[in-house]
Amino acid sequence: MMEKLAINEHGPQHKQAFDEPLWWSLFSAGGVCFAVILPAVILFIAICLPLGLLPAGALSYERASNLLFSVPGFLFVGAVVCLPLFHAAHRLRHGLFDISVGNDILNKKLMYGAAALLSVLALGLVVAGMLR
Amino acid sequence: MHKSSSQRLPPLKRNWWLKHRFFKLYMLREATVLPLVFFTLCLLAGMVALLQGADSWQGWIAFMGSPIVLLLNLLALAASLFHAATFFVLFPRVMPLRIAGHSLPDKAIVAGQWAGVVAVALLFFWLLGRA
Repeated sequence: MMEKLAINEHGPQHKQAFDEPLWWSLFSAGGVCFAVILPAVILFIAICLPLGLLPAGALSYERASNLLFSVPGFLFVGAVVCLPLFHAAHRLRHGLFDISVGNDILNKKLMYGAAALLSVLALGLVVAGMLR
Repeated sequence: MHKSSSQRLPPLKRNWWLKHRFFKLYMLREATVLPLVFFTLCLLAGMVALLQGADSWQGWIAFMGSPIVLLLNLLALAASLFHAATFFVLFPRVMPLRIAGHSLPDKAIVAGQWAGVVAVALLFFWLLGRA
């Protein structure tokens, strides 16, 4: 009993993790997008398109621009780039912790910071395309 | 006798997860995001190319067709499907669905999510697969 009290007094102070529900929600939403939407996106854009398996003009410069630089394109980027990035950031952060690389406080800032930065860049590209 | 937290809990070695099949699968699932990040960066490059003009867009498609990029993106496709297989079984555990007082069987919820994957693929086929 005395030992337990001593641990409580001298042990590390645990701060209330007020932000974790946010990261977990983004991780979760990104996980759904990664599982449900990404297989089709990767198949069509990263495999069929470069192999020339899509009909001519399906993703020509004009068609691709019209599809991406639009309100549906903005939502597409949110679901296919931004949310999966936060999913990846969460898994990378916990993966690094699991193999004892770096320290979690720094990793957390780096991972979620990179996800936020790339998300803003991606959405900004769509807005720039809509405005030109 | 006071012990610091590091003495109470010896730190795990970095290879702890190699010792059991379950932990290896866990780490493999964590690693599915590596090819995902690669594909996402490719997609971002494509968006920049599309903003730059028609020549850059054709250049990006050629880049996507280079063998190593194609191979890594095939890996990303496999990773997304493996992630889906592990993610879909969590849904009925996190949020069991009940319809008219009867709980929906886990298998039905998992099958419904795979139907979602197929529906999205069909949507893409409708959008891009026809001349």
